[in-house]
Amino acid sequence: MTRIFMVLSLCLVLFPLQGFALEPSEKLLFEKNSLYQYISVIEDIAKKERYVRNQKREFTQGGIYVNAPDKLLLEFTQMSFISLAFLDRDPKDVLFIGLGAGAMPKYFTMHYPDVVIDIAEIDPDMLSVAQKYFYFKENERMKVYVDDGRLFAKRTKKKFDWIVLDAYQNDYIPFHLTTLEFLKEVKSRLKDNGVVVANITSPFRNKFFDSMVMTYKKAFPHLYVFKGKKSGNFIFVATLSNNIKNKDVVETRAHKIQSDRKFDIDLEELASRYETSSAYEWDGAKILTDDFAPVNLYQHQKSAAP
Amino acid sequence: MIKFVVFMCGAIVMSFEILGSRVLAPNFGSSVFVWGSLISVFLAGLSVGYYLGGRLADINPSSRKLSLILISPGLLLLTFPLYSSLISDWIFMKDLGVRMSPLIASSVLFLIPSVFLGIVSPYSTKLMICSLHTSGKTIGTLYALSTFGSIIGTIITSFYLITLAGVNALIIGQGVLLIFLAIPLYFMNLSCNMAQADR
Repeated sequence: MTRIFMVLSLCLVLFPLQGFALEPSEKLLFEKNSLYQYISVIEDIAKKERYVRNQKREFTQGGIYVNAPDKLLLEFTQMSFISLAFLDRDPKDVLFIGLGAGAMPKYFTMHYPDVVIDIAEIDPDMLSVAQKYFYFKENERMKVYVDDGRLFAKRTKKKFDWIVLDAYQNDYIPFHLTTLEFLKEVKSRLKDNGVVVANITSPFRNKFFDSMVMTYKKAFPHLYVFKGKKSGNFIFVATLSNNIKNKDVVETRAHKIQSDRKFDIDLEELASRYETSSAYEWDGAKILTDDFAPVNLYQHQKSAAP
Repeated sequence: MIKFVVFMCGAIVMSFEILGSRVLAPNFGSSVFVWGSLISVFLAGLSVGYYLGGRLADINPSSRKLSLILISPGLLLLTFPLYSSLISDWIFMKDLGVRMSPLIASSVLFLIPSVFLGIVSPYSTKLMICSLHTSGKTIGTLYALSTFGSIIGTIITSFYLITLAGVNALIIGQGVLLIFLAIPLYFMNLSCNMAQADR
């Protein structure tokens, strides 16, 4: 009995619980079980990068370079900005659904200081983490509303030029932020010729990805897809108008925005990844609705597309 | 037959609860508040149902009456899609706060069906008890069956059924199932007269 006890306590000493989750060069700065999720902030001492994660491993929700907190670290955050090239004007009113580490709105407001930004983030603890560890600051033009993204979109009376949907946590996606009804609510919050951009995480082509393509196609007249190179992220750009549709125009606009707004990410290179959604469309995929949305199950099922 | 009814009611309660989260999400999100409201309303409904079921069971219990008890939630679930979105849209518009809104919506939508489903267990137990000597065994068996039904209902709904059909179709299906269970019960005479059996 005492021997078993000793072995057990030895194990506890040798493998402190948090130790399992971290790389040798990683240091845990903060962790908390918030109302909605597990949040941890981790710093990689060697790479000088800081991340926020919702699970002990793998899934990084947001991050920054410790020495250059104003730069965009993660690929999907850089890629999302390509959607600006689909706007035929400079945006004035912008909505972010999902804050994460706050890297995207922070970066955006640096390059577009006059824009009014609303951010809907459900988790108050996520907001404090973004403020405390990721140098995110609200100001009179950029406000965070602690609310479910869908409910915020439903309630707000405002209309926006650009709406960024990034409320997906790692492998868990709230189904009510994927459905046709939700996308229609988002669409009704767009100004004329407005643009929606969504970050769809899909490490492989699964049924969820197929359904997302078809659901976006049904909600919006035009859809373009940008595929991540370093990550399993797809960026969906949905537009109301067809003003900017071909690759050349998008590249030209990207070039202009990059030089006018002094972006330090290569928007033009990102623009060259332009694809119309037709390559991904498959009529057999089910459209997700409030009534039928097996999102979490679909994520684990291989795409049935030919 | 009664054992099967108890098992199915256990399954339907939990299946309905899982689907309830889908019904509430478009208007109230899927936060802890929503889950908290949903679970507490179902438990409140069941406890009221257990209490009422016990009292009703002492007044001339019969399988015919049990059948009527099943018909009521059956009809409520069968017509659920007709009123559920109207009610939850209306409560959303009232905007009573992140906690009150889902709590009230859950109460309006789920309390009454869960009261009726709660009545089933104690009522059936009374019907099944033929002798005081074996009453413990009967009670234990029915408890176990009801809870086992709940496990099966939870698992197949969340793991499989949600991929097969829409939420509304599944809830209507549960209503149909309850009515199908009720019909044969109405024509059966399953009550066990303890006075006779003990003699």
